[in-house]
Amino acid sequence: MITSLHPVALAVTMDVIRTYAVLTDDFNPIHVDPAFAATTPMGGCIAHGTLSIALLWQSLFRTLGDNAAGRVDLDVRFVKPVYAGDTLHAGGELLPGGSWAVWVRGGDAMDRITGTARLAPSKELA
Amino acid sequence: MSAVLLWHDFQPGQSLGEITQVFDTEHSAAWQQIFGSTVDGKAAEGASIAVAMMMRGYLGVVTPRPPGNVHARQRFTLHALPAQGEAIRTEVSCAGKEIKRERRYVDLQVRGTGTDGRPLYDGVLSLIWAA
Repeated sequence: MITSLHPVALAVTMDVIRTYAVLTDDFNPIHVDPAFAATTPMGGCIAHGTLSIALLWQSLFRTLGDNAAGRVDLDVRFVKPVYAGDTLHAGGELLPGGSWAVWVRGGDAMDRITGTARLAPSKELA
Repeated sequence: MSAVLLWHDFQPGQSLGEITQVFDTEHSAAWQQIFGSTVDGKAAEGASIAVAMMMRGYLGVVTPRPPGNVHARQRFTLHALPAQGEAIRTEVSCAGKEIKRERRYVDLQVRGTGTDGRPLYDGVLSLIWAA
């Protein structure tokens, strides 16, 4: 029985952030303009929150397979910003009842996002 | 009238609009540039594209926004993976708003549908609204 998710990692460079901005069409300067971001309370460029969700999908489906994608309920909180230069690690543990406690942590092993995922498998993909 | 959408402007239950976008090869190329090829499976890419389309829908409909909004929480239900070439319609509405610990929160409901209206995703973005 699988009780933990396959860990995956991503080095968050400015190139990664800019490419994710293209994917989401989100060019907010807090993400892509280091000079602007330095003037904000964040003090530097931060990654889009949903970039971490994309890493979570990797961990979930690498562990459970594509057929787990029938229906997925995800509920996460963004608890700490992800700065350019950080390395993210995503994973999770099985909870009683069949849901997964999921997390994305930074290079300092502190949580960046935490939450739960519940998957109902499907036999067929779109 | 303000130049940007203010917290006071949101009315729970109010439809904010909709946008239709096509999941194209450039989206896949961007995702694969970050995460690599999809030889192990397509679900992670498809689920990520669904979330990206949700964000595109929110950003395209709810505008102009004040600078400094914070994405605090995301609830997201994936019903089906989008297919490349599929036109995805995202509807956005205000699910609620409240003030907690002197912060202005807005919950935005998003619903994504694909070909022939097939459900792709539902979600709630919880945002700390800056103004």
